[in-house]
Amino acid sequence: MRELRNKNVIRGLLSDIEKRAVSLPHPLKIMEVCGTHTMVIHRYGLKKMLGRAGINMLSGPGCPVCITPNEIHEAAIDLITENENFILTTFGDMTRVPTSRGSIQTTVPKKGSQVKIVYSPFESLSIAQKNPKKDVVFFGVGFETTIPSIAVTVKYAVRNNLKNFSLLSALWLIPPPLKTIVESKDNQIQGFLYPGHVSAIIGENPFQFIPEQHSIPGAITGFEPGDILISLSSIQNQIINSDPVVDNTYTRVVRPGGNPAAVAIMEEMFQKKDSQWRGLGLIPGSGLKLKPEYKDFDSEYKYKINIQAHSHDLPGCRCGDVLQGKIPPADCPLFAKRCTPESPKGPCMVSYEGACLASFKYRDRI
Amino acid sequence: MCLGIPAKVISVEENKQGKIDYLGTRVKTNFALLEDVKPGDWVIVHAGFAISKLNEQEAKETLELIREYTEFSENLREER
Repeated sequence: MRELRNKNVIRGLLSDIEKRAVSLPHPLKIMEVCGTHTMVIHRYGLKKMLGRAGINMLSGPGCPVCITPNEIHEAAIDLITENENFILTTFGDMTRVPTSRGSIQTTVPKKGSQVKIVYSPFESLSIAQKNPKKDVVFFGVGFETTIPSIAVTVKYAVRNNLKNFSLLSALWLIPPPLKTIVESKDNQIQGFLYPGHVSAIIGENPFQFIPEQHSIPGAITGFEPGDILISLSSIQNQIINSDPVVDNTYTRVVRPGGNPAAVAIMEEMFQKKDSQWRGLGLIPGSGLKLKPEYKDFDSEYKYKINIQAHSHDLPGCRCGDVLQGKIPPADCPLFAKRCTPESPKGPCMVSYEGACLASFKYRDRI
Repeated sequence: MCLGIPAKVISVEENKQGKIDYLGTRVKTNFALLEDVKPGDWVIVHAGFAISKLNEQEAKETLELIREYTEFSENLREER
């Protein structure tokens, strides 16, 4: 698919977008929901080029590390600093999020406890099998792309009665926060780039309410620069023709109904709950927890953790506003001054998909 | 976090574990989320799990669209 990165292809698509933009509201505000899209847009310098072409790209709440409230990170820190013989496994980005108690990486675990970074949730199971005398907690974070893999992992633990394994979940669903954004009174978003890999799991239907009830166009989008531009062209055409839909331009990966097997295992293991999102507040039905029959594998139940999550940031950090597309990262007073990738003050500067890190890393291309 | 890598399936065992080839490296992968997958298929891999099969026909159509489009733009440029 190299052609989707070809300079002439990109140039052609851009000039086409520019021509169409003349007859459209200026600038057109489009939200890229997914953090991986944020990275692609910055890496290839599209942010600046699209700005010139009359399209203002705003980052959305699509970075799970960023939207996870500090209190959940702090619960993970408590587990390894207050208990002996614990192994906390998690994805790398999660270990660097600053909280009022430091980050998972900077805290000192209690005797016999440690943090292990995993690439796949499944690795936590072999860690649990190899360490039968230790409690292994997988601090699992993710959207619909990752949740089915975590569901398979827990199911395997249940089936094999792996009693020293449990899940501390920070699992988030993408359609509910989009509903919050389009229903907010000061919403300015005129189009959505829907996340390609979340859609590979859930399909097109969960986004249909956006064009149907709010007349906002959008397109499910792949991860090459050409994919982004094809979707933006589609959104422009939808506006011109007054025909908002959920277009799917990532058909090589996303089927209309998504991946039914993946959805089935999610529904088998988890149930919905109301969850606090950083910046967005409490969103009904936007999070997942293990069903009661699997409660022995739920760290919150097993270790009697009572997480009182809030949606606020650490003092001065405006990650919450960035996640809603209210301000660009550069408008935060900490950005690139006190808050840098080496010394992040908020999660948007920690995650490789955080809008602040992307803006910082590629700031010469903005 | 939602990064997915296109890779070719090398082997799938009965327990749905197997290997993919990514740029010449064999990587352990779980295929539990795909109902029908066999060596030679292309898949999207995320966090050690194959989450979707790549549809070759659809990929070709996207490329076809791009090719037509580029030719069209080039012709326009020549006409000017």
